[in-house]
Amino acid sequence: MTPQMIFLMFFGGAAVWFGIVVFRTLSMVRSALALLFSQTAVGVMFLLMQAEFLGVLQIMMMATEMSVMAIFMVMFMMDPGGMGAMDMTHQKRLSLWAGGIGFVAALAVIWLADWGPANLQIPDATEQTAELGRELLGRSMFIFESAALMILTAMVAATMVAIHPSEGRKR
Amino acid sequence: MTVLIVLVALAVGAYLVAVLESWAVHGRLEPARPAISALALLGRESLLARTPDRLFFEAGPVVLLLAGLLAVAVIPLAPGLIVTDLATGALFLNAALAYVLVALIMAGWGPNGAYAMIGGWRFLGQFVAYAMLIVMPITAVAMRAESLSTVDIVTSQSTLWNIAYQPLGFVLFVAAAMGLCWLPPLDLPTARGDLAGGIEAEYTGARLAVLRLARMVLIMALAGATVTFYLGGWLGPWLPAWAWSAIKILFVAGLMVSVGRLVPRVREAQYLEISWKLGIPLALANIFLVGVITLVVPI
Repeated sequence: MTPQMIFLMFFGGAAVWFGIVVFRTLSMVRSALALLFSQTAVGVMFLLMQAEFLGVLQIMMMATEMSVMAIFMVMFMMDPGGMGAMDMTHQKRLSLWAGGIGFVAALAVIWLADWGPANLQIPDATEQTAELGRELLGRSMFIFESAALMILTAMVAATMVAIHPSEGRKR
Repeated sequence: MTVLIVLVALAVGAYLVAVLESWAVHGRLEPARPAISALALLGRESLLARTPDRLFFEAGPVVLLLAGLLAVAVIPLAPGLIVTDLATGALFLNAALAYVLVALIMAGWGPNGAYAMIGGWRFLGQFVAYAMLIVMPITAVAMRAESLSTVDIVTSQSTLWNIAYQPLGFVLFVAAAMGLCWLPPLDLPTARGDLAGGIEAEYTGARLAVLRLARMVLIMALAGATVTFYLGGWLGPWLPAWAWSAIKILFVAGLMVSVGRLVPRVREAQYLEISWKLGIPLALANIFLVGVITLVVPI
């Protein structure tokens, strides 16, 4: 067992543990940041598997996304600090079934899929970044551009919904 | 060995910048002041607020310090004098600095105090204003260097520093960097006067000392990033490479901690408005211009 595998197992375990913490705490901010650290652990796993760009990107993006999620949870939840000990879980039976089926499906894919031989010739980080750039601006360009346009549309729409219609007329 | 040299340089630099900051605030040059106030903080009782989120309260300053140190790790001080020359260095810097936000939210939420909490969430709004203006100018810098490695970015400026090549990006980046270090006039999360210290309000003693130290490290990291991206890093005539890095970083850090105090504090809404309606279009124009220059004029 190489040190790489040991660290991979450690951070994999950390990702799962923080994922569990998300549901074990009553504080919305703790819950959001636990999810962040779970995702950060996944980012470190990318780094360990020598996918440097993806790892760094994951670690960077999640910090901001989960922080924004935290403030929304604080705004919308009735007991954001968890000090009132309110139970905010619901539909437990459905969630358990959905989670269980998802878990079994993921295991089935892992065991049954033909992954092919492992790639031993890993390009160095500079080459990986360059290849990712070619992929994003070549074959996958249409997908990413259309996704970007959809997100922009959603942003504009969300802002329009958030602005109260009478505010414009006051002036 | 490199790590040790960088840490010592960082400690000395942070101390000098603290002296400069106290000069800018109090108008008197007192070289011993940071040491005295650090000792005073360490000697004081470190109070704990009632029913705090203890984990976040303790972790906030430490996470902030770690984020600053990780950002410093990719800043080259001389050829070979860099903790780790990552192929994605410029992106890694952003990743490390993203945790400044997480640390301040923790520090704001942890003590269970109104002023601290408002300070923490205010920084989230501030982040929405400055984030794009950190990333977009770096994109233009990386375009010229054709690399995300900070060492390659410095060597790409051997003929012409980026401050002359893309002055617009430089101005935007420094302004955004000041927002990231919550330096005046963008000191909204602490905001003496209207938030009574904000995120610093509930911290006392050793914990406050760590928080202040972390902010100094952050200022040094951002000054180092500015020098690396725009002022040619270690490049310069006559003096050795490390001396040029030291002079430039101290100069930029000194400017960052002093100049902003001449302007009144910017309101959160104003800051967001300026950043999104003026800053981002300018940053996009900068990327476009640099792209055209890079393709047309080989400098």
